Amino acid sequence: MDPRLLLDLAVSAVALAAWFAAYGLVRVLTRPASPTPAPATMELGTEPPAVVSLLVSRWSVTEDAAESTLLDLAARGFVELRQPDDDPMRTTLHLPPTPPDDSGLRPYERRVLDRVRGLAVDGMVPLTALTFRDRAQAKTWNRRLRAQVVADARAAGLSRRRFGPTVTSLLTAAAVVVAVAIGIVVWHYSIWHQAEENLAIEAGTATFAALTAIAGLSPGERDTPLGRQVAARWLGVRDWLRGHEQFDELPPASVAIWDRYLSYGAAVGATRLTSTVLDLGMGDRRLLWSSYGGTWHRVRVRYPRFSARYGQTLPKLLLRAAISIAVGGFLLKVFGAAFDLVPTSADQAERAFAFVADGIVVVGLVLLVSGGHTLVRGVTDLVTERTVTGEVLWLEVWRTTGQGEDRPARPWLHYLAVDDGTGDRTTAWGLPSRWAGDCQDGDLVTIRVRPWTRRVVAFSVVGHGRSRRLVEPIGTDQTSNPVVERGGRAGSPQAGRRAAGLFTVDEVGQALGLPVRPAERLDLPGPLTAVQFRAAGDGRPVLAVATLSGVAAQWVWRLNSRGQELPGIGDEAYASGERAVLRVRDSIVLVRVLGDARDRTARLPWLLAQGTARLPAARDGG
Amino acid sequence: METGFILGAGGLFCLLVTVMIGWALAAYNRLVRRRNQVQASWAQIDVQLKRRYDLVPNLVETVKGYAAHERGTLEAVLAARSGAIAATAAPGVPARAGAEHALTQTLGRLLALAEAYPDLKANQNFAVLQGELARTEDKIAYARQFYNSAVQTYNTTTQSVPSNLIAGLGGFRPMDYFEALDGERATVQVRS
Repeated sequence: MDPRLLLDLAVSAVALAAWFAAYGLVRVLTRPASPTPAPATMELGTEPPAVVSLLVSRWSVTEDAAESTLLDLAARGFVELRQPDDDPMRTTLHLPPTPPDDSGLRPYERRVLDRVRGLAVDGMVPLTALTFRDRAQAKTWNRRLRAQVVADARAAGLSRRRFGPTVTSLLTAAAVVVAVAIGIVVWHYSIWHQAEENLAIEAGTATFAALTAIAGLSPGERDTPLGRQVAARWLGVRDWLRGHEQFDELPPASVAIWDRYLSYGAAVGATRLTSTVLDLGMGDRRLLWSSYGGTWHRVRVRYPRFSARYGQTLPKLLLRAAISIAVGGFLLKVFGAAFDLVPTSADQAERAFAFVADGIVVVGLVLLVSGGHTLVRGVTDLVTERTVTGEVLWLEVWRTTGQGEDRPARPWLHYLAVDDGTGDRTTAWGLPSRWAGDCQDGDLVTIRVRPWTRRVVAFSVVGHGRSRRLVEPIGTDQTSNPVVERGGRAGSPQAGRRAAGLFTVDEVGQALGLPVRPAERLDLPGPLTAVQFRAAGDGRPVLAVATLSGVAAQWVWRLNSRGQELPGIGDEAYASGERAVLRVRDSIVLVRVLGDARDRTARLPWLLAQGTARLPAARDGG
Repeated sequence: METGFILGAGGLFCLLVTVMIGWALAAYNRLVRRRNQVQASWAQIDVQLKRRYDLVPNLVETVKGYAAHERGTLEAVLAARSGAIAATAAPGVPARAGAEHALTQTLGRLLALAEAYPDLKANQNFAVLQGELARTEDKIAYARQFYNSAVQTYNTTTQSVPSNLIAGLGGFRPMDYFEALDGERATVQVRS
């Protein structure tokens, strides 16, 4: 090997190894402490269970945080847990008619309570129905809860960022040195290798970007002196609770007797049975809760996987049947004459051919019968189409197109599990993916289906479920910052803020399923203030938002308050085709989907729900 | 052949004996652990009860300042306190529970006096002591729950087959529950 190349490689390796060694050392030095437990005690402290869970889990937030928060809300009277029989899995959550004042709840406590309230039907929800049915939603919800718990712990001085600004700055400075070293190495290599292009700057930049990205990755939280002290005390409580073996077997409803001890027990991992029953993660798609018909009940759902007929269109099915019949007929025609179950020929080769021919004839027969069966059932499927109305229990991608080098896999068929109230078992339907974006779990849908192939051939959403109110924008957490109004001439600045401040760019993007540009104010006469959002790609308008109040609003409301009623959003709300309207006292909000986004109306109710929370503030501003 | 059989049977017997000894040791240790848990739980009750004894004289003094002529009630409280302290030396949980119950009853009557004396009710010191007493009563209630839970686990082990054999040999006797009497049950914040 050329010694110059050896030198270049050695310098690069040493530089990178030194940086990673420094990074590893920092990780070791900043790893969360393992405090020595204080003597076992039953004295509880003032920290909330979710923060306690963080402290006793070596400064990492586990699923115990959400579960213990729910139990704590029960201990404090915000919800009530009832177990009707010996099975803790049948525990139900009830909202008390006169709940305590919830203004002092912490953000993550409110998050958990809102989920319970959002899912409750007539003030009740089964405990195991709190699970999520959308992986992205579950992830987002839990990630934000973790962030809120960490923020609370930091505010109390119990936790801190594992890599502080000093450490991050040092790692970044070291990354600069390494990047320069790599750049010099590449420059040196290009010189002696007489390369046409010298990529020193690119190599240095890429190295710097990669190393700073690694340094910037959140390695989590670590202890503080106060945090270690408090954690030691809670570890003493954990030892106390674990010492009571009966505690391990307590069901969630025993919170009525054990009060906050049970919630703290869940936080420190001393309640095995309770933690098993409580789950705020992804639910089991095969056993789902449905509230269709007004009462909660469980439905077992089967998801067909292997049979070729499921989800197929009739033309494809008939084509397959025709091919099968044709091939089967051809094989029978060609080899039928040679069919001989008991070959009598003395010649070995003739006997072997006869056996092969017998096999081919059998295959031909099978193909013929199978093709005929598919043909008959396919046609029968067509004439036995029926309409089903029910609640969407599960929606998930079933089949996707093949993935190419420049072509990502695209879903073309979704599983759609619908409870139509006729039984406690069902098989998921095959929903063409173009309709999948129009509904979500909990929605009431009417579908036209072919029972044999389980394919949905017509689809409409007839009502929106409660879970839509719980949907959170997926992605960044910037949604809490409403869009900043842009310049414009019509109306007063305050009036403009009304419409512009109602929805964030993220929310609109989330609702329409496409990225959008910030709101632009529209020039409109009179008391109407409006903004529009344009698609980020081609710049075409995709959503118009108008707000109005006073007498004019009453007239506009009369004209637009029709279509599907959307209970629970503002004082009243309706959705009809491309538009949706919302009223809060004397103010109304009118949203209309425009242009290419016209078929993306499924999440308009959710969008309205987001604006409801801001409408009073926006109106006050005006 | 015969030697092999004897060796095999002997080996099996040794293995059986080893397993038996191992199980006996594990069962004994489990009993010890559970008995210790009962004692630790009792100690927690003891701490809370002593805290209550300490509060009583202050509370009586405060009430005396506003309702000195309620001597009967005040003396009953002090007598009940002395009885409860004396019961700490008595053997057995039921005797202790009875004495504590008497103290709880008389304290209840004492606190009820405040309703008839608005000045006493408005007294800052009385309010603090009353709050402290209520918190202590709560803690006593939970400590009693923990104690009874530990006793239940321990008693179940001492009475179950086959661990009752080890319990009998090791002198592990069933323990008494700290029974909640009617007046005390009311202090536990249990929602039905």
